Amino acid sequence: MSHGNLDRGEPNFTPLLDLVLQLIMFFMLSANFVMEQTAVEIRLPESIAAKAVEKTAESVFFLNINKEGRVILTPDQWEGDIHTLDNAIQVENYLKRRASEERRRRKVPPDAPLETVLILRVDRETEFRKTFEIMNACRRVGYDRVQLRAILHGTLD
Amino acid sequence: MSRRRRKGHAEHIEPDLPITPMLDMSFQLLAFFIMTFKPSPTEGQLAMQLPPPEQGGGAAMPDPFGDKPAKFIVRVSTNASGQIARMTLKEEGSASPPTDLGADLSRYMNALKQVLQQQDRGAKLTLELEGRLLQEYVVSLMDHALRAGFKDISPILASGGD
Repeated sequence: MSHGNLDRGEPNFTPLLDLVLQLIMFFMLSANFVMEQTAVEIRLPESIAAKAVEKTAESVFFLNINKEGRVILTPDQWEGDIHTLDNAIQVENYLKRRASEERRRRKVPPDAPLETVLILRVDRETEFRKTFEIMNACRRVGYDRVQLRAILHGTLD
Repeated sequence: MSRRRRKGHAEHIEPDLPITPMLDMSFQLLAFFIMTFKPSPTEGQLAMQLPPPEQGGGAAMPDPFGDKPAKFIVRVSTNASGQIARMTLKEEGSASPPTDLGADLSRYMNALKQVLQQQDRGAKLTLELEGRLLQEYVVSLMDHALRAGFKDISPILASGGD
C-alpha cells in the first residue's frame, strides 16, 4: 500500500493465518478421534497380528474389562445407575437386554442371530478365567462375533 | 476501518481487516490444542472363535472321509504369577504323545508353522489355557498362532486347570 511517494512494507499475514487455521483444524479433528466406548483405565496388551478396525461391521459394541474382571460401562452404555457389571451373570443379563433391544429395532424374531460385533477390551493383567466367563456369557446370549482388542505393535515380519 | 483514497474519483472504500488479533487468537488456539494433544495408540482386533457350548477336550469324533480340518490342541500351564510355564502341542485324536514346547513362544510358533505345512485341508487350533493365565499372554499366544498361519483359533479354559 502506498501513500504518496512513501512506500510502506507490510507483512502478508494471510498465508500464515491459513497455515495456523489448518493446524488448528488438524488438532481439533485428531482430538475427536478418541473412541467414545472405550475406558481409559484399561491397559491393553500388544499384538503384531491384530487387524485395524473394519468399517464393514454394521454395529460394534465394546466391553471394557478391567484387571479384576469387572466390566466398566462407558457413559453411553449406562443403564440408570448401573455403571459396572461385577460378574458373568450381570454381564449376561445386561447383554440379554441389549440383544432384545437390537432384535426389536431390526424387527427380527427373538432367536435371530445378532449382527453386532462384540469387542472385548481386556486389561493385560486380567486372568483368563474372568475373560472366559464373560466370553461364555456372550455366547449364551447369542453374540457369536466376538473379538479381542489389542494395541497394534510394529509390523508383520 | 475505512478511508477515502482520492477526492474527485468515485468513492472507493477499501476494507482493512485487522489480521493481527485474529492471528493472536489462532496462535492461542493452536497452543491449546498442541498442549492438550494426546495421540491415542492404534488399536486392532484379534479374531477368535467362541468356546463351544460344552467346552473341554472331550473325545474326538473320527472323520471317516478325512475332509474335516485337523484340530490341534495347545495346552498351556502357568506359574503362580500367571505367566506361561509350559506348553504342549498335540493333534486331536492322535495316539502320539504331545510335543513339549517349554515356555518359549518362538518355539511354539515354529511348531505351529510346521504342523500347518503338513495340512492340506486347513487346521483349527484350540488353546487350552489355565484360569490364572494373564490376558497379556493369551493375546501373545493368539498373536503367534495367527502369525504362524492359523485362522481358526479358539481359546478355552483347561478342564481342571486353575
